[in-house]
Amino acid sequence: MSRRAPWGVILFALTVVGSSSSHAAQAPASAQAQAQAQPPAPAPAPAPAPAGYSAPALYNLANAYARAGKPGLAVLNYERAKLLEPNDPDIDANLRHVREAVGLPPESRNRFERMAEIASPRILAWVGVLGLLIAGVSALARWQYPRHRRKLHAATLVGLSLVAVTIANGAALWPITHEAVVVTQAAPVRVSPVPIEEPLFVLPEASIVRMMGEHDEFVLIRTEAGRTGWAQRSSLAPVVPKRIASDGVSTSHN
Amino acid sequence: MRVPILRQRASIAAIALYLFSAATAPAAAPSIDATIEPQQIEVGESARLTILTSGSGTLSVTLPVVSGLEFRVVGQSHQIQIINGARIESTSTIVRVTAEEAGVFTIPGLTPSSPPLVLRVNPSRGGGSSSLLGNGASPGPPPFVPGGSNANGIHLTPDGSAFVHLEIPKHEIYVGESVPIEIQVGMRDGFVASINSLPKLNSGDFTLNNLSRQPEHAAKAIDGKAFTVYTWRSILAAVKPGTYSLTFEAPVTVRVRTRPQRDSMLDDLLGDPFLQNIFGTTVPKNVTVTSPAAAIKVLALPTQGRPPDFGGAVGTFKISADLSSSKNTAGDPLTLRMHVNGAGNFDRVESPMLRGDGQWKTYEPKATFNPADPIGYRGEKVFEQPLIAQQPGTHTVPALDFSYFDPGTRRYETAHSSPLSVTVSPAADSAGNEPPPPANAGASADESHGGLRPDHAVTEARVDSLIPPYFRPRFVGLSSVLALLFGGGWISLRRRELNARDTKRQRELARTQLIRTLLERMAAASSAGNAAAFLSTARSALQQALSARWEVEPEQIAEDLVDARLEGADKDDIRQIFTLADEANYSGDDLKAADFERWTQIVSRQFIEETAS
Repeated sequence: MSRRAPWGVILFALTVVGSSSSHAAQAPASAQAQAQAQPPAPAPAPAPAPAGYSAPALYNLANAYARAGKPGLAVLNYERAKLLEPNDPDIDANLRHVREAVGLPPESRNRFERMAEIASPRILAWVGVLGLLIAGVSALARWQYPRHRRKLHAATLVGLSLVAVTIANGAALWPITHEAVVVTQAAPVRVSPVPIEEPLFVLPEASIVRMMGEHDEFVLIRTEAGRTGWAQRSSLAPVVPKRIASDGVSTSHN
Repeated sequence: MRVPILRQRASIAAIALYLFSAATAPAAAPSIDATIEPQQIEVGESARLTILTSGSGTLSVTLPVVSGLEFRVVGQSHQIQIINGARIESTSTIVRVTAEEAGVFTIPGLTPSSPPLVLRVNPSRGGGSSSLLGNGASPGPPPFVPGGSNANGIHLTPDGSAFVHLEIPKHEIYVGESVPIEIQVGMRDGFVASINSLPKLNSGDFTLNNLSRQPEHAAKAIDGKAFTVYTWRSILAAVKPGTYSLTFEAPVTVRVRTRPQRDSMLDDLLGDPFLQNIFGTTVPKNVTVTSPAAAIKVLALPTQGRPPDFGGAVGTFKISADLSSSKNTAGDPLTLRMHVNGAGNFDRVESPMLRGDGQWKTYEPKATFNPADPIGYRGEKVFEQPLIAQQPGTHTVPALDFSYFDPGTRRYETAHSSPLSVTVSPAADSAGNEPPPPANAGASADESHGGLRPDHAVTEARVDSLIPPYFRPRFVGLSSVLALLFGGGWISLRRRELNARDTKRQRELARTQLIRTLLERMAAASSAGNAAAFLSTARSALQQALSARWEVEPEQIAEDLVDARLEGADKDDIRQIFTLADEANYSGDDLKAADFERWTQIVSRQFIEETAS
């Protein structure tokens, strides 16, 4: 094995990762012009015709719902768009605007969440793989090239740092994968999963709750204020659906 | 709710009475006579049906079946009389007849020739404690424990089987004030079968909140009798001023003794309810036990000195406030929390929190109550209010106020929190936080929804799922395989390195041992004066020592290599040993004792240097 071999491996890995990442994140410039020519949707648009999700499509769908006076569905789709493009200021601004319009406070994120969401999860996932490659190859190369031990040690640390960033992003996103948005005008929350009981409290539309369990047609939820109870599944839509529904709202939970 | 104790369900079953007559003596044909006493009872009470058979022969009697009446054999006696040599047998069977409903019942004759019996059953006189047994129409069970109030202030029912007792800490309260109370239902062991529902408040002037669902129970001796006391805790609140009488009632099922007092001597002698049940002397009966009335004076809250922000909280409270962060960015929300701790009617503890102004944009607060006890009398209510600073800079969140009425001091109090300071830094993209005007959007700003930013260009890049890649099996699998590969490689290389280190160490140990052996041979040759053997061994020892230092084979170390790699005195000495060793094999010169010692020191020094390196 030649002395330049590990760097070759790293470059190869970078090439592989880079090509995968760019393939997933490509954004044709021509689409910009296409969108500018596209008139705004007067009513909630159905799910995008091509299968899959894209941040612009979800954002536009959310805008359409907001204009149609459906803040719950608007917030749901803004949240989904944010998962794909966490640093898009338009998504944040419109999400804040819609929540304020229905009297809900803007979402508050702590410093860890802000730092962890420096990039799209898709990009950070590949950054993590890249970090793993760098850390692994450099750790192995230290035996083969003892004279470059310090450089390889530094490369290992860099790789591990990239992996740590990915793990932090995953930790920050984990709660979001269990969140749901109230998509009906009001969601009564009961102490037990039966419809005949008097509600403990009522969640307004566009509220974001955390799903903690399920029972038949009820979901055990926890509000931002820490209150828990059972809400009807039909009142909620999970931020991360398992499959795409025709109206952009999935009733399946994770 | 039912509290199961010993519950005996009597079953109505046909039983056969076999009467045997004397086989030897001549006797009359068997006859049956039946009487019932008393002929008028109340629902739940029992009458005694006596069946007297006399004469000879065998007679089978089947207990009658009458809807609304329960028949149960409770005793039997057999008598034999001999009159003028004639033997007369008679059997008396006692049957308990318990009325389950009111009406006039006709008990058919036990034989076709027997006349029917009539039993009149009156409705029960009511469920109050005074109606529980002890009435003159019943067979007259004596009270187990005398009724009335005892030393503990407990009023037992007239039969002494149960009581309801109310523990109220004070008898003068204010409208809206929460008063923790205890409702005790005592049941004498063995005489009360169950409590059939939760205790009920007999007053519309009070409200009962947070009644504990599961009572605490404990054994207690009252007037020397064993009772099980079930205790519910709750919060009592008055709705309007005045003086009221407060009672609680609890429906229970008791076991009623059915035999008259004169027939119950054995029961009283036995005392044990279990034994009494065995002998069938009790029947279950549903009654309602009522507590003695408690007078409570309800005062109106004073109007004088009432703060304008008073919301109806009555109790003793303290407040504190904090912010979710002391540093923030303009436009980002902060959470202002107000903690109200204490004891009182937390359901009336409300606060508008901070009102919006030019400095702060505020939202409606949310409240969460964390009770410190099961009934929610003590605890902490936390109000959380999102705030947004309108401008960057150092701001002060003003002190929060909370007004309540303290029944202890009998006046209104206002608690204050401390002002809070927060530093708000400008937003990094302060311009971007505000929605751009439609003219700048270029594409699709909606005038009717001017706050919304325009739509984006829809690209064709799509993902098949919103689940972040970290949580997908494919990504986890790929990362795991990579991690395993690298981890395995690292472990393999590490193990190889450790093995190599071990081999080198083993080799060095063998060499050290060999050199030591050679030194011993040198010492032996020196003692024997064998110069050739001494020098040859010295050369071998030096070759071993230097081969370890130079990492070459020992056989390769010769004079030319010594010349090339050594300098100074060592070089000359070692070279001389090598030369003398070669010469000694041919010349046969002897060495002096001092030479032996000198060459030994030189070789030893090389060995020591090698070991040190």
